[in-house]
Amino acid sequence: MKLPTDLVRMYKEIHGWVGIIAGLALFIAFYAGALTMFEEPLQRWASPPSALAPPPSLKRTPELVAKVKAAYPDAARGYEVNLVIDAAHPGRVSWRAPGGKRGEHGGGATYFASLAPDGSLQVETQQRSQVANFIDVLHQQVGLPFPHWLAMPIMGGLSLLYVVAMISGIAVLMPSLVSDLFALRIGRNVKRMWLDLHNLLGLMSLPFHIIIALTAVVFAFHDEFYGAQRLAFSDAASRARPMMRAEASIEGTPTITPLQIVQRLRQQAPGFTPHQIVYGQGGGILPALRVQGSDPRYGQRGPTYGIAGLDPNTAEIVDRNFMPGMQNGWAATTTGLFTLHFGSFGGYPIRWAYFLMGLAGAFLFYTGNLLWVESRRKRERKSGAPQQTRATRVLGALTAGVPLGCVAGIAVTLAAAKLLGPAATYGVHSALYYAVFVVFTVWALARGAAKAGSELCVFGAIAMLCIPAASILGGKSLYDHSELVLVDITAVLMAIALLAMASAARSRARTGSRDSVWSSLSAEPAPRFVP
Amino acid sequence: MTRPLSSRDWAGKTGAGLVLGFTFALALSGLFRLGTGYGDAYFSAQGQLGMWIMALIWPLILGFVFLFRTSLRAWLWLALANFVTWVPLVALGGLHAS
Repeated sequence: MKLPTDLVRMYKEIHGWVGIIAGLALFIAFYAGALTMFEEPLQRWASPPSALAPPPSLKRTPELVAKVKAAYPDAARGYEVNLVIDAAHPGRVSWRAPGGKRGEHGGGATYFASLAPDGSLQVETQQRSQVANFIDVLHQQVGLPFPHWLAMPIMGGLSLLYVVAMISGIAVLMPSLVSDLFALRIGRNVKRMWLDLHNLLGLMSLPFHIIIALTAVVFAFHDEFYGAQRLAFSDAASRARPMMRAEASIEGTPTITPLQIVQRLRQQAPGFTPHQIVYGQGGGILPALRVQGSDPRYGQRGPTYGIAGLDPNTAEIVDRNFMPGMQNGWAATTTGLFTLHFGSFGGYPIRWAYFLMGLAGAFLFYTGNLLWVESRRKRERKSGAPQQTRATRVLGALTAGVPLGCVAGIAVTLAAAKLLGPAATYGVHSALYYAVFVVFTVWALARGAAKAGSELCVFGAIAMLCIPAASILGGKSLYDHSELVLVDITAVLMAIALLAMASAARSRARTGSRDSVWSSLSAEPAPRFVP
Repeated sequence: MTRPLSSRDWAGKTGAGLVLGFTFALALSGLFRLGTGYGDAYFSAQGQLGMWIMALIWPLILGFVFLFRTSLRAWLWLALANFVTWVPLVALGGLHAS
């Protein structure tokens, strides 16, 4: 398709600048986001085995609930009955400590309870690992170690830049679209190959990027959008009312038992697998008695579950707003958009696909950064600069250090979960990640992109191998399910990939084109030819 | 002879996209709210979709605002777009109507 040359040139400049500002942060968001596809298995992998007795049957669960409420009156305010027992949900009944923040961005200690063989109450605090949550927050805040209120507007700004980068990138690609699309010129011109790869990745994953960008803008700015709408469209009396419904609790004790709830739900929604019954933590847009679960045939509103809102006395599904397959058209539309961000449909095959698309996205930003640095070098050289400027050198080093620091930091902090057990709090995970991240970045800045590129790939591979090593050192009861060995296998595969990259980077530094960030030759004066 | 497009006056164009693009997106979401009649129920299923409309329109404007020849044109055209959406919205009672 023909576009005016001035338009293409303008968008090329915009694409470059927007990309270089947002690229590294987006790499972190995409890499961590790819890992959140496996948030649940990672949390189970990282959580130490529980000392609780096996859960009582659903039939005996009311007895456990009554004992919990008697011993911990706070739990009556809101608790869960877990229908799937695993390392991340080791007890039949769980609740949160009073005072802990609740809701979407809440935290606070979690208690799990079971019945000992003699029928007495057993309670355990927060055994489950925080590492999956840490990776999720890293993803949401594009790697920024700031509080939520500060990180979110920055993330929002980056998501807007991401949209601009996408539009400008398409404009730049348009004129040569037909001739370049399937041309992947692997050969002596390495920069041409990187550009082909960048274009191919960008165009082929465009639908994925459109969805991610649109949803990222919503995640960042939903409060502002709602606020602006309310300010503009609603009168003062309406604005004075709280926007969220007050916290909703269940009147009295629900007359229906967990077993009856599961049975009634099976009749009403046969394909729905319930994971958790949540009592009395409604409010906002959430019903006071709800069952969270999954139905792979439909999209789910949450990253890992959809919600059936139940009548506390009859267990009839009364709130279908988040119920997979039972939503009206409006609710299904927004759920569809969430679902396409979370990859929460179709079960694990889709999650693996999203994992790979996330990695491909991260790689897209990496190649973009690389191309920017290389073409800047070329321009500087053409304009007569004998050495690359400091800004180009720094950006070249960051392009190697930041992505590898993120990859290694997450690997180390994940491995630590297995070794440190309950000692690994959220703060410990955060400190470990940023320590590794900073060391990698500083190393890249000190050594330059060419040398650091291969060295940091080797360090990254070692960090990745900490994950299976931690599993082995972790002791007897490694996993709650043997499937979780996939975590270790994936880590080993990624270590192998990093080692392959290290060897490619090394050979390029020695023998590749001298006029490249990756060449270690160009840093020194050219060797004099001695006849 | 028109001046070729350039990224030099990016600041003025970006400003127009950020400010007037936002108010334009707000007006469109207001028209949607009026059409579907969800009133003050911003978190209803329709209300949520009304919020998504802003998330779709605003970044799109920001991406395409560079196609205006000058930043003055960007401000003027987007002001016009705001005018033709806000006027019917106000006329149809889209403000302070529940």
